[in-house]
Amino acid sequence: MRFTIFQESLKGQRKINQDRLAYTYSRDTLLLVVADGMGGHAGGEIAAQIAVRLFIERFQQEAKPTLKNPLKFLQDSMLRAHQALGSYAEQFSMLETPRTTCVACIVQSNYAYWAHVGDSRLYLFRQGGLIGQTKDHSKVQYLVDQGLIGAHEVVNHPDRNKIFSCLGGLVEPVIDLSRRTPLRNGDLIVMCTDGLWSVYPQEEIARALTGAPILKSLPVLMREAEVRGGAEGDNLSLIAVRWGPETLTDEPTTITETMSLGEFQTEIDRTLTLTDRKGMQRDLTDDEIERAIAEIQATIKRYKT
Amino acid sequence: MGVTNQALPSGYQLLNYRIDRQISRGGFSIVYRAFDDAGAPVAIKEYLPSSLVLRTDGDIVRASSAENLTSFRYGMKCFFEEGRALAKINHPNVVRVLNFFRANETVYMVMRYERGRTLQQQIQLRQDQMSERLVRHVFMHLLNGLREVHTHKLLHLDIKPANVYLRTDGSPVLLDFGAARQTLTTSRPKLAPMYTPGFAAPEQYREPDRLGPWTDVYGIGASMFACLAAFAPQAADARLNEDHLVSAKKIWAGAYSDNVLEVIDWCLRLDPLERPQSVFALQKAIREIAPRKRKLTFLDNLKKRLFTEVM
Repeated sequence: MRFTIFQESLKGQRKINQDRLAYTYSRDTLLLVVADGMGGHAGGEIAAQIAVRLFIERFQQEAKPTLKNPLKFLQDSMLRAHQALGSYAEQFSMLETPRTTCVACIVQSNYAYWAHVGDSRLYLFRQGGLIGQTKDHSKVQYLVDQGLIGAHEVVNHPDRNKIFSCLGGLVEPVIDLSRRTPLRNGDLIVMCTDGLWSVYPQEEIARALTGAPILKSLPVLMREAEVRGGAEGDNLSLIAVRWGPETLTDEPTTITETMSLGEFQTEIDRTLTLTDRKGMQRDLTDDEIERAIAEIQATIKRYKT
Repeated sequence: MGVTNQALPSGYQLLNYRIDRQISRGGFSIVYRAFDDAGAPVAIKEYLPSSLVLRTDGDIVRASSAENLTSFRYGMKCFFEEGRALAKINHPNVVRVLNFFRANETVYMVMRYERGRTLQQQIQLRQDQMSERLVRHVFMHLLNGLREVHTHKLLHLDIKPANVYLRTDGSPVLLDFGAARQTLTTSRPKLAPMYTPGFAAPEQYREPDRLGPWTDVYGIGASMFACLAAFAPQAADARLNEDHLVSAKKIWAGAYSDNVLEVIDWCLRLDPLERPQSVFALQKAIREIAPRKRKLTFLDNLKKRLFTEVM
């Protein structure tokens, strides 16, 4: 597999970042996952973290080096994450189960498969045009579908944060699965949380990414999105993949052919590390030092020209 | 004389690098010149905080107490921050990280070795004043590098002539990200602040919550001032009590263009909000582009940015 990948999460103006994102890949299969822990509920960031971890761990158990059934993997992982959140709440006698949205995508043998719960989104762009996207499990999306409000009213609607499906909720999550979607070289997969899409319409994302190296244009886009979020800005996160061999100068490509069977490369956004549950600082463990070094070395390789 | 940390000796084999000599020593590290397997020179930075005496002999770094170990490990996070941030930046005007590893119970960062001298040495060596052409050339390129740094959410926070390297071809390289913080993401810098009087912005002394791109902009202004004056401007903390700084426009009227002098004065404003708010704004001012009628949209800016970078 050959692809260029970018991921970043910003806190916006919130006290904590409840978004979590990660990707991991074996020689032949790539997994991307984004979760937006729900504020107002206990431990949103814990929920998002559990969901992301669970996807990564299951992937590393099952992708050897490919998944037998990617869509089933996505559906099962969503359900397992939902159950894991319930067990977590039980274990710590929490009054309320931590909740999160989740969108996950698998790319294998030039096909993409995705699943989502809630209002974190996936867009698939081809040559600047949108050819696939998730449909939010939200009240406003329902209103749009019923023709009661226009699509442009979604962003400022008073109920824009109400979602009817999430992981960790009282009822089983509604899980939407995509079809098996063939990818062409140059296709862009963009996954993001509502903090990003609510301030950055997909047409604008498409325009910003078309013809521009994503590792250069996306950091700029994220900064701009944070500014647009203003004083009340939500956490905002994004993972983007440009599929296929390098097509633009200045775009370091990840090449997986040289990886051995059973080897995985994983990058979890580093909001996950270095603070304990109370947010207190503590010194590094040997394990964390090793991981930090491995991460830096991987980054150096990725940005080598 | 107190006891200090011992530097690695010349000829010492550190993984596949052979130490040649110590180049510099800072508060948190020692920098060496070394040679790789192929005999090519590299700069290696060894994490070794001078406030903790950890190596009086030999090569292994040992913390003398549990408390020391905690401080040592804690400071290591900053070293990792620097490595993480620099690893992502591949820009001709920013020092390039080539490798990062653990040895001798501490961590090392290998960087591209650059030939030339620091801007500080350049200022001290020159008899006559630096020409406007050279000042413009050095700072325009340096700002390209700094813009890339800010794009990666990193603030340098210790911009001064000693941290700018001039290659033999005259192009600048921004060095030493030892003070750098990912302040654009974390709410507050986590380690005791480090700053250089004269080059550090007032908010670095008093209001760490207000650090931003404008803080590095102050350092740029102070460095430009130093190029003209051959000394640093009055320290910002002293300026807050009693501002004796004479504006560049007064001192060098006629000797340099109004544009350059105005830019220096603008960067050195005490109120962070009164300075250029971004490197882009500063570069625009230096280029003297007349303001366009239509306000640039984000996409225009992006296109322009990409375009200038491709060029």
